[in-house]
Amino acid sequence: MAEYMGLIEQPRFSCAIGALQSVVAIPRAVPILHSGPGCGDMVKGFYERSHGYAGGDTSPCTNFTERDVVFGGIEKLRKIISNTYKVLDTDLQVILTGCTGGIVGDDIDSLAQEFRDAGKPIVSVDTPGFKCNNYVSHSHVVNAIIDQYVSLYEVENEAGSERNTVNLFASLPYQDPFWKGNLREYKRLLEGIGLKVNVLFGPESAGVTEWQSIPRAGFNILVSPWYGKPIVDHLKTLYGQDYYWFHSVPIGANETEKFLRGVLDFALSHNAGIDKKKAEKFIQHEIDAYYEEIDNLATFLLEFRYGLPGYAHILHDAGYVVGMSKFLLHETGIVPKEVFATDNVPEKYREDILNDLKSTSNKREIPLYFEADAGKAQQLIRKTEHKGNGLILGSGWDKKLANEKGMGFLSVAVPSPVRLVMTTNYVGFSGGLRLIEDIYGKALDGYVK
Amino acid sequence: MNEKIRQIAIYGKGGIGKSTTTQNLTAGLAEKGKNVMVVGCDPKADSTRLLLGTLAQKTVLDTLREEGDEIELSSIMKTGFHGIRCVESGGPEPGVGCAGRGIITSIGLLEQQGAYTDDLDYVFYDVLGDVVCGGFAMPMREGKAREIYIVASGEMMALYAANNISKGIAKYAAKSGVRLGGIICNSRNVDREEELLKAFARELGTQLIYFVPRNNVVQRAEINRKTVIEYEPSSSQADEYRNLAAAIDKNEMFTIPTPMTQERLEEILLEYGLMDSLKDNYNI
Repeated sequence: MAEYMGLIEQPRFSCAIGALQSVVAIPRAVPILHSGPGCGDMVKGFYERSHGYAGGDTSPCTNFTERDVVFGGIEKLRKIISNTYKVLDTDLQVILTGCTGGIVGDDIDSLAQEFRDAGKPIVSVDTPGFKCNNYVSHSHVVNAIIDQYVSLYEVENEAGSERNTVNLFASLPYQDPFWKGNLREYKRLLEGIGLKVNVLFGPESAGVTEWQSIPRAGFNILVSPWYGKPIVDHLKTLYGQDYYWFHSVPIGANETEKFLRGVLDFALSHNAGIDKKKAEKFIQHEIDAYYEEIDNLATFLLEFRYGLPGYAHILHDAGYVVGMSKFLLHETGIVPKEVFATDNVPEKYREDILNDLKSTSNKREIPLYFEADAGKAQQLIRKTEHKGNGLILGSGWDKKLANEKGMGFLSVAVPSPVRLVMTTNYVGFSGGLRLIEDIYGKALDGYVK
Repeated sequence: MNEKIRQIAIYGKGGIGKSTTTQNLTAGLAEKGKNVMVVGCDPKADSTRLLLGTLAQKTVLDTLREEGDEIELSSIMKTGFHGIRCVESGGPEPGVGCAGRGIITSIGLLEQQGAYTDDLDYVFYDVLGDVVCGGFAMPMREGKAREIYIVASGEMMALYAANNISKGIAKYAAKSGVRLGGIICNSRNVDREEELLKAFARELGTQLIYFVPRNNVVQRAEINRKTVIEYEPSSSQADEYRNLAAAIDKNEMFTIPTPMTQERLEEILLEYGLMDSLKDNYNI
């Protein structure tokens, strides 16, 4: 179960250039691909509704050909950038290289500098597919924007000057199908305890002006088992911003409360100027609202107890696997059986993730597999036998397996041709309720034939 | 492609005299009535200067860049000394793009354009420096050069490079049928050079096919943009190149090289006293 360097089946992530979607997620930003046209198309196919302002296969692209390989594609890129300015009104441009540009070694950094010298807000980042996957390159993209764009506005955005402002690094845009809703919910919750939040991506972000203000934040928040960590480390080095690290995705009452109280303590210890009483009141209100729904659910659970799933397999990134496992076991009574972290987790983070999952229960061990090869994960599930009604929470690619095993299925990960997600969130109190709705809704759907 | 054409690639350390040797020996072959094409596979595009008497040849890749891949053969193939057909692959500007891919592209284009006509007896590829990447191994791939000659001298680095190139040949030998035809010594007047080169060739499982002595007439001819055979046809050096041409024409020893370890190579160098003579003032 080492980090995969060889062939795998059914990767649940894309190659490095997939992080072009992180650019698409910044309001009024545009990715410019220095690659073959297939890269944008592949990304579009993987993430489905990926266009945004100009993303996926509608991103400006140099359409790298043999001629560009031999002679270098810089002139073509210069032309594409210049033409992009003519047809798209954008606040930030990010050049991303594909494999060919990366191998040929085109000097995109100098070209970006040339445009920056001319006053353009443009950033370059090396994302050839052979370098890493998009979980990793997301951090490269964000750090490149910080180094080449945010840094230009440091004078008017003094480091740490707004004690109660935080930069949030959580759901990866598009890779997490619920990223928009999640970021909105994180923002609402954190504002509820008295913080001002830069979510940086999606409609809740103020776009480039918000990015420019990154240095001002008093501290940062990382919600992730591993991806995105290079960003908060980088900001710590650059601006001395400490960070609060919550290792899994907080779903439902237990974890969300833990998350919020963790942030609250951290904020208080960092002199964020927060009204603790008000914050506590907000948290309590959220908890009460959550349990009111759970109370109302009691009759339903009793009525339908035989048709509901009793155990589940999860195939998702490590943050979701741990977050959902905790939620399912403690807040729905569905027992997580074999679960799979499909995000090619680097070796050095695995022990912490295992310990985090272990902390779920001292009575029940949840078998976690770090398996970037989802084909192998499916093979393993295929061989398992558990009593009761089963449920698979995975990507759309796992639906057939669920049918084959006679199990319930809910699409919660990319790629998914079988579910449309727009603004749904799974994080927070409301996210937990929504997950319950989705799981039981699916079960009910099959109840009357 | 016509099996009857002998396709030969010349490799060797940068600056060892591959282009000079190739042009002089092809001049020797052409003099004897052989139909020869020389394909320069070096972005510097200086492999056919002595045959054409000029450097101003449009390269395959220049044409590709300016006109696209609808290339007229006549615009990239020029005729030089004794009817030798000269083509330069060319390449990107230094430090930009991928010269290796450039070679692949341009040889592909030459094939498409029908440059390899049945009347040819020989095609020579003059390849730059070392087999640094797949592109520079293009001439030894399937359907291209079957014979490789490595130009070397008694200097240590030339032998290191030759050994390294042999690794490339050994790698392609099984699939493409490429074989090493021998080592050509372009003498630097190093002590016991011929003996050393013979021992080195033996260790590689090949032969020292010819020892070309050093002679300043080569430099004079080069300044005049001519091969020695054209510039001073009656000089002894012109005969050396004619003999080299004859040796290659008659060569029947083609082997899969057996590259040696770095340690073994240094042992041979020590054995032939190269190390002892480091203090000597040997003239070049």
